[in-house]
Amino acid sequence: MSIFWLVLLGLAMGAVFGVALEKSRVMEPGVLVGQFQFRNFTMLKMFLAATITGLIALAVLNGLFGVALHPKSFALGPVLIGGLILGVGIALAGACPGTALAQAGAGYRDAYAVIAGGIAGAIFYGYNIDWIGAALSFGSYGKITFADLLPLPFWGLALILAAMLAAFLVVLERLVPWQADMDKAEALLEHDAVPAGRGYSAPAE
Amino acid sequence: MLSLSKRHWSPYVAGIVIGLLQIPAFLLVDTALGASSSFVTAGAWVASLFDAGVSDIAYFAKYMSADKYIWQSALVIGIALGAWLSARASSSRRATFSPAWTRLTGVTSLGSRLALGFVGGFVLLLGARIAGGCTSGHGISGMAQLAVGSTVAVAAMFAGGILTAALMKKI
Repeated sequence: MSIFWLVLLGLAMGAVFGVALEKSRVMEPGVLVGQFQFRNFTMLKMFLAATITGLIALAVLNGLFGVALHPKSFALGPVLIGGLILGVGIALAGACPGTALAQAGAGYRDAYAVIAGGIAGAIFYGYNIDWIGAALSFGSYGKITFADLLPLPFWGLALILAAMLAAFLVVLERLVPWQADMDKAEALLEHDAVPAGRGYSAPAE
Repeated sequence: MLSLSKRHWSPYVAGIVIGLLQIPAFLLVDTALGASSSFVTAGAWVASLFDAGVSDIAYFAKYMSADKYIWQSALVIGIALGAWLSARASSSRRATFSPAWTRLTGVTSLGSRLALGFVGGFVLLLGARIAGGCTSGHGISGMAQLAVGSTVAVAAMFAGGILTAALMKKI
């Protein structure tokens, strides 16, 4: 595909991604951190719904049409330590790398600081990759998937996991309805400490 | 159901829409959805303004030219455009920074939030690059491919996030 079409395709797919992140409020810092405090389950629900959809889509693409998968390597040191650092960063930034862009698009000015910090972090990693990689080089197992470990084809295991995650979501939704979390997310958009802003009008005489 | 002018979509609808994006990603770009690599692409170009030798560093060089990273950089710009469009169409444009930060950390000025945001962004991408992916690449895409490493990465992300959020005020 030429660069022109790659860019156009990326922009179009990203726009769909961005609309979904804004409409679901998953890009809200209060919703992301709220998930880590078990106060709001919007992020987990969106994340698992996307995972289930991906599992089914890839079960069909790979199982029926032989489309190649691209699982990342399992290197215990990097995914464990990197994952922990990434989690700390999500809570401090109130964003993931993708949602930081959605926040900027929706109007949050602090998202630009997150993006700038992210670019600086990526540059720092690129210049220091040798010693960081050497320090974390333990436990490398290659590009393994659970389908490699179990006597099941990828498509079969993908559909089983999709069904299990869907069952979990049904139970979770019964316990915590999404609309209630959405109302909480909406309330978080209002400043309660500072009276100026939306809905505020100066008292008459 | 998928109206642009509606204020909300349920997290399930949003998740299904995002999950379906794997289909064009695999069929047309031969890769999975991801976001954090684009920060290396941006970082490599920024660094090239100060350091003429950047493209000699193998890690940076591959992110500056490979097709899938060009596609991913367009994808994240598209995310910003989509969120802008969505917020505009539903009259929910945000300003300065989320009021949730005042509740979580007590910050009231944009300046202090910018400082914490920058540090957060730095830690975020440092972690994502060490892990080799973020909530999209390891999370949504890795789990959908049953990747063992991605499952460990997601568990570690939640652990790091839960521990850090526990130090903040309850929202």
